[in-house]
Amino acid sequence: MRQNWLEWVVLGISAAAVIGLVGFLLVDGVTDEARPPVPVVELQMDAAYDVPGGWILPATVTNDGDRAAEALVLRATATVGGAEEESETSIDFLPAGTDVEISFGFSGQPEGDVTVSTVGFRLP
Amino acid sequence: MVGLTVSKVRSVPQPRPSVWKTTRDLVRAAGGGLFIGLPLLFTMEMWAHSFLLPSWKIVLLLGVAFVVVVGYNAVSGFRRDRTWRELLIDSVETMGIAAVVSAVALLLLGRIGVETGLRDAIGKIALEMIPVAFGVSLAASQFASEAGAGEAEDQGSSVGDGAGVGPFGRLFIAGGAALLFALNIAPTEEPMLLGIEAEWWQVLLVVPATLAMTFVIVFLADFRGGRSLAVGESPLDYPAIETLAAYAVSLLVSLLLLWAFGRTDGASWSAIVGQMIMLAVVASFGAAAGRLLVGGGQDKQQQEAS
Repeated sequence: MRQNWLEWVVLGISAAAVIGLVGFLLVDGVTDEARPPVPVVELQMDAAYDVPGGWILPATVTNDGDRAAEALVLRATATVGGAEEESETSIDFLPAGTDVEISFGFSGQPEGDVTVSTVGFRLP
Repeated sequence: MVGLTVSKVRSVPQPRPSVWKTTRDLVRAAGGGLFIGLPLLFTMEMWAHSFLLPSWKIVLLLGVAFVVVVGYNAVSGFRRDRTWRELLIDSVETMGIAAVVSAVALLLLGRIGVETGLRDAIGKIALEMIPVAFGVSLAASQFASEAGAGEAEDQGSSVGDGAGVGPFGRLFIAGGAALLFALNIAPTEEPMLLGIEAEWWQVLLVVPATLAMTFVIVFLADFRGGRSLAVGESPLDYPAIETLAAYAVSLLVSLLLLWAFGRTDGASWSAIVGQMIMLAVVASFGAAAGRLLVGGGQDKQQQEAS
């Protein structure tokens, strides 16, 4: 029925792809605990940079839960030049396990730590 | 699967296809898959549904898609002379090719990458491969320039020889085509808005309008593959009954899709019915197109000849 080596290769890859996909989804479906979204923000102080009139702090957001968060709003707080400053960023969708790159902006490089809190999100 | 002729015995032995021919078939399969799959590869809701839908729902959708692919491959497909076992293996191959094509497409479109979670990526590939698989399956017959030796004359005007498709087979193809059409619309928000915002009389008018249009398209409008009003032996061969049956299948397909994409969760009954009827407009036109594709145009041609 398979008449040359290429057809065998195609069949092999196809079967592996289908079994892999369905197998993964089945295992995921069985083990999924549907835990609520847990946004985790990792600030990248090393990658921070100056821009005209401000200072930008990149960060990576991941979701350690099982469910996705929609319209997630994150707020970073820091002290810049003696005054407290807030910076807000929103993310449309934060799926479980996926990294999303964001940046917070301040008027200058803050003194001390930058703290991030979750303002809120929607369960899709 | 009733009424589908699976194995068509050919007296002429097939020549051993060269690697070059296999490559060409593969490229055509990938091209056909993209023809059908591109609209949904470019649909934002499809990307989001990859992680919004639970895994088991995606598996269930893949299962439905596989059944449809088996049906399509039964009446067209890569090879005509084959057993059930070969048909199933061919269909797995169709799904596999679709998985690879959609994975590559999603990579190139920047929808999956190293930063994408594994479950998210797998979900995207699994969802996008459904329309791509329909395209791969159709590519084997509809987009082929040579549907097989000695069949150059039907040039893709119908899925192989429609004579082998009985009324139930035709209904099955109609369901598959309804799924193919409605799938393009179902993940978006529009059917939901249409269904919820429509007045009751609008919903009520859409039903006869859909029935009338699909009836005309298949039996009166003289499309290629259209049929005359002649009545066959099976009750399903009555044009009015076939139209109603195809509409019922379209409604079911619509409901399945709305449920699969979470549009029925927490929705009121009237909202569900409204969405179902609105989405079934698209599904019915797909069902009509599917019935045109399998044709059965022979009897019409014969009638016109006489």
